[in-house]
Amino acid sequence: MAPIIRMVNLTKKFGDFTAVDHLNLEVEEGEILGILGPNGAGKTTTLLMLTTVIRPTEGTAFIGPYDVTKEPDKARTLIGMAFQEPKLLWVDSPWDILNWHAKVCGLPPDERAKRVRWALEELELWNDRYKSVHAFSGGMRKRVEIAKILIQRPKIAIVDEPTAQIDVVGKHRIWNMLRDLRDEGSTILLATNELYEADVLSDRVAIMHKGKLLVCDEPKKLKDSIPGGDVVEIALEKDAPEKVLNELREIPRVVNVLTVKPNYLKIYLNQAEEVLPKITEFFVKMHVQIRSIRMSEPSLDDVFAHYTGLTIEEAQRE
Amino acid sequence: MISLRKVWIVAERDIKMFLRYKFLLIMRAIWFISQIALFGLVVNHMFRVDVQAAVGGSYFNYYAAGIVITMLYSTTVFIGYDIYEEADHGVIEYLLSVPVSRKELVLGRSVGGGLRSFLYVGPMMLFVLYLIGVSNPLQLLVALLSLFLFTFGVAGFSITLAVSIKSSDRFDILMGVIDALIVRLSTTLYPIAYMPPYYRGIALINPLTFAADFFRWGAGLESAASVPPLLAALGIVAFFSIFTFLGVVLHERRLEGGGWQ
Repeated sequence: MAPIIRMVNLTKKFGDFTAVDHLNLEVEEGEILGILGPNGAGKTTTLLMLTTVIRPTEGTAFIGPYDVTKEPDKARTLIGMAFQEPKLLWVDSPWDILNWHAKVCGLPPDERAKRVRWALEELELWNDRYKSVHAFSGGMRKRVEIAKILIQRPKIAIVDEPTAQIDVVGKHRIWNMLRDLRDEGSTILLATNELYEADVLSDRVAIMHKGKLLVCDEPKKLKDSIPGGDVVEIALEKDAPEKVLNELREIPRVVNVLTVKPNYLKIYLNQAEEVLPKITEFFVKMHVQIRSIRMSEPSLDDVFAHYTGLTIEEAQRE
Repeated sequence: MISLRKVWIVAERDIKMFLRYKFLLIMRAIWFISQIALFGLVVNHMFRVDVQAAVGGSYFNYYAAGIVITMLYSTTVFIGYDIYEEADHGVIEYLLSVPVSRKELVLGRSVGGGLRSFLYVGPMMLFVLYLIGVSNPLQLLVALLSLFLFTFGVAGFSITLAVSIKSSDRFDILMGVIDALIVRLSTTLYPIAYMPPYYRGIALINPLTFAADFFRWGAGLESAASVPPLLAALGIVAFFSIFTFLGVVLHERRLEGGGWQ
């Protein structure tokens, strides 16, 4: 089956700054593809090019059969987008915003009324439907933004950090609604910097950093692919000197050591149950006291760290 | 292919949006009433018989018709301020992402910006027409249709400037200057006969002169018009065409890519 979205050397420069750098990525019809990366990775810029809000500097993307640079009007007929920052005027009410959105997307009046009501009720906005969004909290505004694509049910739904500012219960509700949307036939492109969201919601995850695509695969395959299938997190009483880190890396079956903080290490290794005693002995020998040890499964953060040498949090700070 | 349904959906949004600015609407109505009931009446008493003759018999009628056109102009340019408000809230990006072509979007905004102004000024216009006393309804209908085009042109003009400047402060200052020049260098407030010759040339190609004179012609104040009706109508059509076209082109080129201040 041909991919429903195809990015070909998609590039966007703002002056000398390259926000998206020759991105080549395909999205299969009916899947949820998560684009994971820290702020500034180029996720939102990519989505804005796909929705034809901004033009690529180089390369292109195909939305279905339509080239976004040559047939942007046709490309937009297949797309619906929920933006990262809710795009609402303060004088608007949720009812007006969603009703107009449904209308401009071509929904007939009966269906429009039905879907707007359904989305407002599901997202617990029904009682506030005629109030100005000026009075709304960040989470409520975000729900109005998400409601747009739930009503539209586009062939391709593009959602940019859909659950930012939303509480835990609300997050799960929105994830379920996005899954339902996918099950009803929409393809979903999800940009997020939340590891858990990308992991639980995506059929495949594309990891981006500094405008480049690092890797794209199913979350499990990504996690399985990193060398050192076990992760040991060690908190130390004092900062680990460089010498200690270097010698730690020399211990057999230790694949990589990542310094999350100067006194907090993530050690990627094989056969942890055999290597762990050696590691504790090593720290005793080096007179570095251990405060705590925790073993965990690799996460997407570990995948990100494998490719960049940084955790997402560190990359965000950069 | 432009879909008129989509043009209307965009226009409808702008009309509804405008009606929510209640404070603005009330203040503009008070401004209009004070211009007619205070300034118009008082100034009318100041003018000698020869001045009254030069404006078709009554300066008050001449002025009242002119003030309707300035009102129409100033409420229509408000669409440019809406664009800044939308840029501020990121709504422009949203509008660029919906399944509407750029041409439909800008046409819809021109139509919406013009129509909402026409609807708002409509009752004031009817009041002025009542004061003047309309003699030829058909002539008036032609003039009103032409004023529809005038408002679309003004909306296109405002959109063109807004998307070209991309700075709300500069736009605000520029609109203030343009308002001062375009209104004062036109026949909206005073007849061309009393202008210095070097101003007349500009006044004769000013779209507000075309609109004011054509409206007066429609209202039966033919002798007060300084531009022949056909020429005024053609001037309005040219103004509408140029700025609708410019609005479409610039909207497409300048609206994308941010840079709004």
